[in-house]
Amino acid sequence: MTIIILLLIPLVACGLSTAMRTRQWMEGIHVASAAASLFAAMLLAAEVLRQGPVSGINGFLYADHLSALVALLTAFVYLACAPYAVGYLRRDQALLFLAPSDDDMAALAKQRMYYSLTPLFVFCMFLVVVSNNLGVMWIAIEGTTLASIFLVTFYGRPTSLEAAWKYAMIGGVGLSMALFGTVLTYYSAHLVLGGDSVSALNWSVLVQQASHFDKPVMRLAFILILLGYGTKAGLAPMHTWKPDAYCEAPVPVAALMATAVLNCAIYGLARFYVLTVRCLGTAFASNLLILFGLLSVAVAVPFILVQRSSRRLLAYSSIDNGGIMVLGLGFGGALGALAMLLHMTYHSVTKPLLFLSVGNIQQHTGNDSLRKGARGLLHVLPISAPMFLLGALAVTGTPPFSMFQSEFMVLRAGFTGQHVGVSVLLIICLVIIFGGFFHHVAQLVLGPPSGAPREVMSRWKTYPVIGLAMLVIGMGFLMPAPLYQLIDGAARVLAVQQ
Amino acid sequence: MHFWQDVQFGNRMITLMAAVVLVLQIMMVTQRWLITNIRAFALQSFLMACIATTIAYYNNAPHIYAAAVLMLLVKVILLPVLFERLVTRIDILQEIEPLVNAPISVIVAGLLTLLAYVVAESFHRPDEPMGPASLGHNTLAVAIALFLIGFFMMVNRRKALTQVLALLSLENGIFLAAISLTYGMPMIVEIGIFFDVLVGAMVLAILVYRIRETFDSMDVSRLSRLKG
Amino acid sequence: MIEYTLSILVHLALVLLLSPLVTGFNRTFKARVQTRRGPGLFQPYRDLYKLLRKGMVIPETASWIFTATPFILFVTTLLASLLIPSVTAQAPLSLFGGVLAVVYLLALGRFFLALGGLDTGSSFGGLGSSREMTISAIAEPALMLAVFTVAIGAGSTNLSIVAQAGLSQSWRFLAPSQMLAFAALFIVLIAETGRIPVDNPATHLELTMIHEAMILEYSGPYLALIEWAAAIKQLVLMTILVNVFFPFGLSPDWSPVPVLISLGLFLFKLLLLSIIVALVEVTNAKMRLFRVPELLAIGFVLGALALVSTFLFQG
Repeated sequence: MTIIILLLIPLVACGLSTAMRTRQWMEGIHVASAAASLFAAMLLAAEVLRQGPVSGINGFLYADHLSALVALLTAFVYLACAPYAVGYLRRDQALLFLAPSDDDMAALAKQRMYYSLTPLFVFCMFLVVVSNNLGVMWIAIEGTTLASIFLVTFYGRPTSLEAAWKYAMIGGVGLSMALFGTVLTYYSAHLVLGGDSVSALNWSVLVQQASHFDKPVMRLAFILILLGYGTKAGLAPMHTWKPDAYCEAPVPVAALMATAVLNCAIYGLARFYVLTVRCLGTAFASNLLILFGLLSVAVAVPFILVQRSSRRLLAYSSIDNGGIMVLGLGFGGALGALAMLLHMTYHSVTKPLLFLSVGNIQQHTGNDSLRKGARGLLHVLPISAPMFLLGALAVTGTPPFSMFQSEFMVLRAGFTGQHVGVSVLLIICLVIIFGGFFHHVAQLVLGPPSGAPREVMSRWKTYPVIGLAMLVIGMGFLMPAPLYQLIDGAARVLAVQQ
Repeated sequence: MHFWQDVQFGNRMITLMAAVVLVLQIMMVTQRWLITNIRAFALQSFLMACIATTIAYYNNAPHIYAAAVLMLLVKVILLPVLFERLVTRIDILQEIEPLVNAPISVIVAGLLTLLAYVVAESFHRPDEPMGPASLGHNTLAVAIALFLIGFFMMVNRRKALTQVLALLSLENGIFLAAISLTYGMPMIVEIGIFFDVLVGAMVLAILVYRIRETFDSMDVSRLSRLKG
Repeated sequence: MIEYTLSILVHLALVLLLSPLVTGFNRTFKARVQTRRGPGLFQPYRDLYKLLRKGMVIPETASWIFTATPFILFVTTLLASLLIPSVTAQAPLSLFGGVLAVVYLLALGRFFLALGGLDTGSSFGGLGSSREMTISAIAEPALMLAVFTVAIGAGSTNLSIVAQAGLSQSWRFLAPSQMLAFAALFIVLIAETGRIPVDNPATHLELTMIHEAMILEYSGPYLALIEWAAAIKQLVLMTILVNVFFPFGLSPDWSPVPVLISLGLFLFKLLLLSIIVALVEVTNAKMRLFRVPELLAIGFVLGALALVSTFLFQG
């Protein structure tokens, strides 16, 4: 029942926003639906913690610890971005980014588009994690692309069209690979299970039979799935759409894409990883994951070092972190899975902080360049700028922030799993990324005052940043026990022995 | 028993149609006229629908009939009509020089077909008895070839519309694989796939139109301002 | 033994007599489609008769090659025709060689024809030879690929065995490899017999002519032999197309009733194919010479696909 409510909340919000005539109502519905989603996701998590996996509508929906965790993270990012979006879009309207002049109707139409498409986007992500059928999961992941494509073209600039085109085409090819992989998985299961019932693609059914699957077919299926969902997660070398899309979408959407969508794609990958490991043993899938993970981290390094735009910097950081998660999954064992999920959780808390504070900086300075113009923002933006610095330190894995712990754990999993070479390379890359990141951010934030007046920023835009920053600091020292239980349970789902 | 009730005959028809589908795909690789490309795609999708109907007939599977009808409506009628309108509206009839010229792309397509054969060979089950359920299993190589050649076409072409067509023909390959390997995935999934394809193509059609408006050309190679 | 000799003689007579008729039918049918009266069905016979009675002009610069070419061409083409099952499933000389022998006998004839064109030193002859060799350089691989496809399907390169394999399996012609090979061979047929998208044997236009340019210096009985050989070559290729891919009704031996049925069916199949060829000629415009390789490349690709699809669809 909780699952259905979780799905309904954003759907209803989408419908209501389309119907509303005033901006205030749309904003209210948006924030309320985000809060309700988080509440529902918490309820779901509690339910899963209490009684194990829950299912709904005749096994069509299914949520175990892993689903509950990813749903919770999605809802969390949604809630963090919702109030921020209100302030962000109001400011955009004031800056005449939404409509050419004082055309209130056009601006309202733009905002209606935002407030109806974003919940739809979130709905698709919820559907990804709670659908039991792998085919439906694929549809939902494709749905996230479709729902967000018009959010990428939101500002209608030539560059946003370019970004949306790349996003659609690369995403389309990637997802078609994932579909092919899904078809092949069905085929390899079909040879064992027989019949053509609707449940034949249900993960909960497949996972019990996985060891009997046809092995050559499953091998090809996993390669295709890895390429497909890897594209969606932005693993190198299929990452090229990512910086463009993050750069052109409105900041709250970019934050959702960089965290929630990444989580969903890795979630999809992890589901198939479990099936593959049960069918083929750990070596095959792990080696592929390690290859792509390391490649992603390595590709991010040069681009972060020479980066000119702060939003693209964050995109490459997201590619890097996606790579770390995939590496964690690939190192395998209980430790690797746990490290991956912890990293996912911490990343989902830290990355929105970065995006939201960059959004504030960008709206203040008018561009997202790291090179020209803005210096010493600390004196102009007394809240956003230091928070950006804090987030940057956290996301590169500086102790005592939480991501240090998870990255450390990934490395430990690597060393225990006899992947010494890979782990050493990972350490080198992480150190360089830290250096590059810190160089860029410090230049932007620190430095002598430029004499510009202090910006008085709307509370809609500062409170989410402050809240997130407090969470980032807090999580470095304290992990709530129920959340840890949830992560631990999810790691058990992933850490299967064949 | 009429000759058309013989599974062997059905098998022959399916392989024949699959071969024509492959020929059409290779034709699309070399073809520069957009309208011809669209019609080749429509014909290819029509043959897909025919293959689905044949498999449905021998297996008595109503949901594959449904898939065939969906295919017919969406990919044979609706999308080609939409695309042809788009072409006449934006008045761009010919693809500019692709990255790789026609003879070399044909050779690449041939090599990809061979690769598809090698991949499909590893699934080959010679011991499988010939029956309605195994109809069309031998088209897997064609399905993979369609997929690979479609992928190559996407990379090779520079017009937005031909890229969309390439993506759709690539999806045809997946459809062929789904329908021939598993005689249709569970129904709900099929509907979802077609819905997705439809919505996706709509989105892309709108995008293509807007790219034309903004850039005054459908040339994707001009979409290169975002770098690094 | 007598029966065997007899079968060869009957076969030779059939080929020699039928080949001008096919050419005549093609011309007449085309004319009728274009609402002209046309020269009449038997005009090629009259042409040959006329040419055989006339005197000859042999260029002073010509060597023995010029004289030998018509005979070599005629004999090789005739020999090739004996390797193909036309009325009976067993071709008269099937033990002599298979489809490779056919291809190379034709190639030998073409080689000498090209030499003959070059031999006189006239610029047209050289032009025609060079064009002919350009086209055959692409047409031949397509032909070989298609032929190999058929041979692999039947497990032998002997055309008689191929035809018998086709007889024993109904629906064999529906196999994709067979259809694609048929399409490839059809394009080769158009190119090798100088039909319209490639060449136009009815004109002597220097910009486009291929075959006619090569034989421009020949006259009298030599020209008759060359024209006759061209007609036989056309019949040979058409027979391969109809009897190897659609071997219905081929008689297993020389008993009269099946042979008559087989003959009737053979003529009917030839009629259908000639109509198709004529329709292709009527509905198409002559291609620019530089576009011809593209057409042949399509034939080559189809042949390659045919060969690939024998493996592709084996499951």
